[in-house]
Amino acid sequence: MHTLLIDDDAIGVFLTERLLKRESFSDNITSFGSAEEALNFLRQAPAEELPRVIFLDLNMPVMDGWEFLEALRPQEAQLHGRCRIYILTSSLAQSDTARVDEFGLVAGLIHKPIDSAQIQSVRDQMGAVET
Amino acid sequence: MENEQRFRALFENNPDLMLFQNRAGIILDANPAFLALIHAEKEAVVGQSIDEFLPPELRAMFARKLAEAFEGHKVKFDVEVGFIGADRPVWLSCTKVPLLVDGSVTGVHLVARDVTELFASHRTIQEQAHRLNTIFESITDAFFLLDDKLRFTYVNGEVERLLNVSRPEVLNVPIEAVVGEGSDFYKYLKRAQASGQAAHFEAVYAKTNRWLEVKAFPSEQQLSVYFADITEKVRSQEDMYRQHRDLQQFTYIVSHNLRAPLANALGLVDLLGSVPADSPDHTLALSNLKTSVQQLDVVLRDMNTILSIRDQQGITEPEMVPLADVVNQASLNLREPMQQYRGELLLNIAPELRVRANRAYLYSIFFNLLSNAMKYRAESRPLRVEVSARARPEGGVDVVVADNGSGFDLERAGADVFRLYKRFHTAQAGRGIGLYLVKTHVEAMAGTIDVTSAVDAGTQFHIYLP
Repeated sequence: MHTLLIDDDAIGVFLTERLLKRESFSDNITSFGSAEEALNFLRQAPAEELPRVIFLDLNMPVMDGWEFLEALRPQEAQLHGRCRIYILTSSLAQSDTARVDEFGLVAGLIHKPIDSAQIQSVRDQMGAVET
Repeated sequence: MENEQRFRALFENNPDLMLFQNRAGIILDANPAFLALIHAEKEAVVGQSIDEFLPPELRAMFARKLAEAFEGHKVKFDVEVGFIGADRPVWLSCTKVPLLVDGSVTGVHLVARDVTELFASHRTIQEQAHRLNTIFESITDAFFLLDDKLRFTYVNGEVERLLNVSRPEVLNVPIEAVVGEGSDFYKYLKRAQASGQAAHFEAVYAKTNRWLEVKAFPSEQQLSVYFADITEKVRSQEDMYRQHRDLQQFTYIVSHNLRAPLANALGLVDLLGSVPADSPDHTLALSNLKTSVQQLDVVLRDMNTILSIRDQQGITEPEMVPLADVVNQASLNLREPMQQYRGELLLNIAPELRVRANRAYLYSIFFNLLSNAMKYRAESRPLRVEVSARARPEGGVDVVVADNGSGFDLERAGADVFRLYKRFHTAQAGRGIGLYLVKTHVEAMAGTIDVTSAVDAGTQFHIYLP
C-alpha cells in the first residue's frame, strides 16, 4: 500500500516509517521533508502512482499542513476515494482537532507518536472502504 | 396753560413714582403712583419732609442726592427702599431732575421706576449661573462648551487639569488650537457639530499623551463636551491583551514545540523495545532519542529565557546607553563569521547618541538582528548591513537595521515574522526564537519594532525606543 509521509522533522519521519514497517502496514513509503515538495509530487503523479494513505504533519515552516490541504483543494475530486489523509501531529491544540472537518480528504487526526493500535485502526478503516 | 395741563397729565398718570421737592426736602407734590405705594392721601404727604417716609438709614443718602440735584446736576441712582407705609420694599431706579426757573433751581423732580421684578429676575439668572458653575466644577468629568465656531466659551477646573491649560488661555480660542487640527479629538467634535448627532469616542490627547473618553452633545449654536481620563483603563486593557497573547503563545509552545520532541522520544522508546539490540535501526533510534531529549531541553531553556525577560520587566532600571558602543560590541562578537562571509557592516550612528535602555536587551537585539542578517544573506552578493540611528526631536530614537540579504515575502509572513518558533526558511537551520526575543526585548523597553522586506533584495528592521 503506497504511503506518503509529509514531515519536516527527520526524526519524526524515521520513527513513523519504522513503526509502519514494524506493523507491516506498508512496504512502499515515500517521505517528503516539505509540504511544497509533496504537493508537486501529487500534482504530477499519474493516477496509478497516487498514494493510498498520506500522513501529514501540521507544524512545518514555509507551508504548514493546513496550507497544504488548502493548496490541494483543486485536486480534491481527483483524490477522493483513492487517497486518505491522516493528520499526524504532535500538537494537542483543540483548534487543530476542530479544523479537521473542513477538509473532505482528511480521514482523521492522530497524535504523535503513532502506535500499534492506531496503525491497526487506520488499516481497519482502509479495509472497510475497500470491501 | 396747555403746557401746564400736559405736564399735569404726565405727572398724574405716570406709572413711575414722582415727587417734587424743595431744597429742604419737603414734598411739594406727589403723584398717585407714589401715594398708592405708601397707602397715603395726598394731603398727608404734601408739606412733609421725605424723611417721614424713608427708613432712617436711607435719609442721609436721599438728602445728599437732592443736594446734588440742586447744584444743577441730573442725578441717577438705584436703591432698595422700604417706604414707611408700603407693603414691601421695592427696588427703584431713581432720577432727580432739577427744575430751572430763570437760571436758578427752584425744585427737584424725583422720578423713580419700580424695577423690583427686573432685579429679581436678574438675581435669579445670576444665582442659576452660579449654581450651574458650582455643578460643573463639582462633577468629576471635565466639561466645556464650544460655540458655533468651536471656540471655548466655558471650561471647568477639570478641563484645565486634564488638558493642561488655564482658563484665560483657552477662552474664545478655537478647539483645534488646543487639541491639534489633525487630532481625532478635533475630527470627532467637528463631525458631531456638523451632523448634530451626539458623539462618544476615545482619543489620545497629544500634549499629555493621555487617553480620553469623550462625549459630545450638540445643541443650538453650541457643543457640550464631557470627558474623563481613561489612560489607566486603556493601559491595563493593553496589558491584559498582551498577557492573553503571551498565554496563547505559551499554549502553542507547549502543544507544538514542547510536545514534538517529547512525542518523538515516546515513539522511539516504543520502537527500541521491538528492534534487536545489535541492529542498525537500534543504533539510529538511540541516537535519535538522544537528539529528541536534547531538543526538549532546548525548548525548556528557551521558555526559561523568555519568561525571565517577562519577569524582569520593570525590575531592571534602564540607563542611558551609548548606542554605537552596543552595536560595536555585538558586531565584535560576530566578527569571525562576518569576515568569513566577507560581509561589511556600516554604522551610521553618532558616537554621542544615547538611548534610555537596558544594555543587555539592547545587545541581544543587535546580536540577533546581525546574526539573522548573516544567516539569511544572499549567496549571489557579499553581505552588506547598515545600522543607522537618529534621535527624534520630540524624544526617543529611531534605529534601522538594513541588509541586502535574501529577504522574505512580507505578505505571506505578515505579523508571524516575530512569532516564537515560526520559521520562514527551510535551507537554514534555526528554531525561530531570534526575532521573538528581539521583539520581546524591544517591547520590554516600551519600544516598537516592524519590518519591511523584499525577496532577494533585503530586509529592514525599524526600531523605535522611547
